[in-house]
Amino acid sequence: MDFKDYYQLLGVSEDSDSKDIKTAYRKLARKYHPDMNPDPGAEDKFKEVAEAYEVLKDAGRRAEYDELRQHGNRQGAGFEPPPNWQRSGGFSDADSTRFEGDFSDFFNSMFRGGGTEAGQQTRGSRGQDAEIEIPIFLEETATETSKLVEYQIPVYENGQVKDVKKSLKVKIPAGIVDGERVRLKGQGGYGQGDAPHGDLYLHIRLVPHPLFDVEGHNLVITVPLAPWEAALGAKVTVPTLTGKIHLTIAPNSQAGARLRIKGKGMKTKTGTGDMFALLKVVVPASANDEVKDLWQSLSEKTEFDPRAQWSNAS
Amino acid sequence: MTEIILWVSVQELCQCGGFTEQIIAEAVDHGIAQPADGDNITDWVFDTTTVHWLRKAVRLHHDLEIDWIAISMVVDLLQKNEALEKQSRCFEKQLNRFVN
Repeated sequence: MDFKDYYQLLGVSEDSDSKDIKTAYRKLARKYHPDMNPDPGAEDKFKEVAEAYEVLKDAGRRAEYDELRQHGNRQGAGFEPPPNWQRSGGFSDADSTRFEGDFSDFFNSMFRGGGTEAGQQTRGSRGQDAEIEIPIFLEETATETSKLVEYQIPVYENGQVKDVKKSLKVKIPAGIVDGERVRLKGQGGYGQGDAPHGDLYLHIRLVPHPLFDVEGHNLVITVPLAPWEAALGAKVTVPTLTGKIHLTIAPNSQAGARLRIKGKGMKTKTGTGDMFALLKVVVPASANDEVKDLWQSLSEKTEFDPRAQWSNAS
Repeated sequence: MTEIILWVSVQELCQCGGFTEQIIAEAVDHGIAQPADGDNITDWVFDTTTVHWLRKAVRLHHDLEIDWIAISMVVDLLQKNEALEKQSRCFEKQLNRFVN
């Protein structure tokens, strides 16, 4: 077991008063709190800081820790509490508000009266909830679909933690949206003894689609047009989530125009969204002499300044 | 086939999420959670995504020792940030389709 220097973790000196300790903790908590800082490693850093504060904010616990620290500083690698050391005030899990009381072996041994396992057991009861991301194809949101969900759950057995693989077939209802969370009762971490299991939350993630983009419950498809299709108008076959439709492109359509196709978006619990066709004009990458002549002839016969706005602005 | 649950009652939030009725009422008062249905606390029903945001709110309340008004602002900003990041990814994808 490693000794933890809580003063060092908070960046305060051992004679700091409670106000300085609180200020140091708040500063570090804001920096490393995993709800505010998504960087890998931030959560572990926050847990260390929270553990340090949990001990140093309480005068009684801090006094006990100072005693341990004097002993710990005299030791080399590894830490053993002094033979006559007894924790007095103790630490109940009701005190453990910070990050679900997931503290180090050092903390659990010194302030909870047991190792990791004992610490977990005093929390007792219900298994932990788990959350996993589940990828869903856009097409699968149109109807109810069944998915095989595979995940791992840590299980405490004879004082050891081991991962147990689980697989479940779940029914995903139509109209599920990206970012939504659904709950599977009792499929999370195992409860201790007769205590109920935790729940499993599935965090729905829509797999990016090769053709469609999602905006809320609407879909957007980019429709490439030849310049003459945009100029003369055209009928274009456009794929939808459930089939194909014929889209009429009006003459003189502009690149960037969005045409609304009602009711061809995503099905949601509150209704069906629309699809938007976003027009894009594509010029052929190369042209033979005959085509070049046609472009040339077009440029001579058309009075069109695509940069007219520039001259108006200047 | 395992049934999924899309809605959660106050009683279930207390049993499974480890919240108290007082915390849930505070969260609703400050707009951190919005009941999808129900006129009073005993009838309130939330979507399951609420559990995620309530947990975050309670963690922030305890860990950063900030009050509910500040929490509601933080949660609101986190949600806006999440939505903007999503929108930005979507626009980036659309732009790529448009220029390539």
